[in-house]
Amino acid sequence: MSQGGPAVSEILLRLENVGVAYHGVRRVGAGAFWAVEDVSLDLREGETLGLIGRNGAGKSTLLRVIAGILRPDRGRVVVKRPLRIQMLALGLGFVPHLSGRDNALLSGMLLGLRRRKIERCLPAIQDYSELGDFFEMPLSTYSSGMVMRLGFAVAMQSQPDVLLIDEVLGVGDAEFLKKSEGDLRQRMRSGMTCVLVSHQDSTVEELAHRAAWIEHGKLVMQDDVGAVLSAYHAA
Amino acid sequence: MRFLELLWFSAYAELKAESARSYLGFVWWLLEPAMFMAVFYVAFGVLMGMRDPDYIPFLIIGLTLWQWFKSCISHGGYAIWLNIPMMRQVRLPVLLFPLTVVVSDTVKFLFVFAVLLLILWSLGYGPWRGYVALPLVFGVLLLLATACGVAAAAIVPFVPDIRFVIENALMAMMFVSGVVFSLGSLSEPYRSWVALNPLVGILESARDILMRGQWPDWILLAKAAGGSIVLLVIAIFAIHRLAPRYAKLAV
Repeated sequence: MSQGGPAVSEILLRLENVGVAYHGVRRVGAGAFWAVEDVSLDLREGETLGLIGRNGAGKSTLLRVIAGILRPDRGRVVVKRPLRIQMLALGLGFVPHLSGRDNALLSGMLLGLRRRKIERCLPAIQDYSELGDFFEMPLSTYSSGMVMRLGFAVAMQSQPDVLLIDEVLGVGDAEFLKKSEGDLRQRMRSGMTCVLVSHQDSTVEELAHRAAWIEHGKLVMQDDVGAVLSAYHAA
Repeated sequence: MRFLELLWFSAYAELKAESARSYLGFVWWLLEPAMFMAVFYVAFGVLMGMRDPDYIPFLIIGLTLWQWFKSCISHGGYAIWLNIPMMRQVRLPVLLFPLTVVVSDTVKFLFVFAVLLLILWSLGYGPWRGYVALPLVFGVLLLLATACGVAAAAIVPFVPDIRFVIENALMAMMFVSGVVFSLGSLSEPYRSWVALNPLVGILESARDILMRGQWPDWILLAKAAGGSIVLLVIAIFAIHRLAPRYAKLAV
């Protein structure tokens, strides 16, 4: 069920006829490939916008444009004020030979936090990731689940103005998955502005206030979640 | 401020991780250059029979500084390229990557330099007040190394093939920079060409201070500084122009 959502709130960010081209093959004379051809979207403060579409439709590229990682080759991105816009990046910059503590510091700083701020958060990160004494051990001694837990715990410390999520809502074993997903969902419900890419209808229905359907790099429609999903499945 | 904080911590993390990767850890920071110097010493000092007693200090000063310069460039070449996956996840100032390499290679150089000083003193080339000019000479070399490292970092992601060229170009550059043998005996027109290489003046300045007990040739050093600054400005300008394109490239 889609929520009412802050339909009247301020537009934070607007994409106007955005297109992004990749130069795929590393060969002399290879042509460009337009991953996103023409997309215009609004993102309002406090809402969660669901992005749906098939594999290769251009959803992840679009997230990178919104995050300012990719500059559009045509069209433009308009923001009213400077915003911290980030993808949910788990394990960013992690180095296997460094301790959990050092990795948390490095990753947090790469996410744009000041060192002092992350240092203050370290006990919370250690606690949240449930690593115990492993926190002081090199990452190379961790199981993959432990690495993910640490990555998630660090990522949750960065609280951007707009969070962009590409499929992954939670990590770890059943229990940690429940905790991590639960916390992220909680944030999305409590007024965080968010763009969510998901292939699961139930997730989009539950979390998104509005949805946009992208196909072959073009925006097909942008509307209520229910309307977009039924059009998408009818196609 | 945030950038500097991140730069220091990245360099620290890189050094720490690098020393954790091998059994001997940071001992390699000294051992590897020592082995490198030994090879050159055997080749040029013993086999080719350089009889001049000043040759050993000449060689080890040249090689110590050269290794620092060289590592900034060959490591710099990989700096952005290997971090493209990270640049697809988060927006970061692109200069962070080559500068991290330069900072960590500079820290390693300082260790090697401390050992170099001990060797020079034990050979009888003692310290004198001219040492106060050393930071200036190193500063100019740092500018030049940063310029070349940033340029290498900027280009390699677009043309990864150039990595193979860089190593050999560096080898060629070593021989025309007066690292292993003096270029003083060159005849024209080579002498004028070589004089355009800022590295020559920097190495000679370091040798003036460390082994000849004389002040460096200030004009030569100033020219090298000027050339390095121009190169650095061009490299930074280029990398900023290219910055938005890296996230689109394949590793």
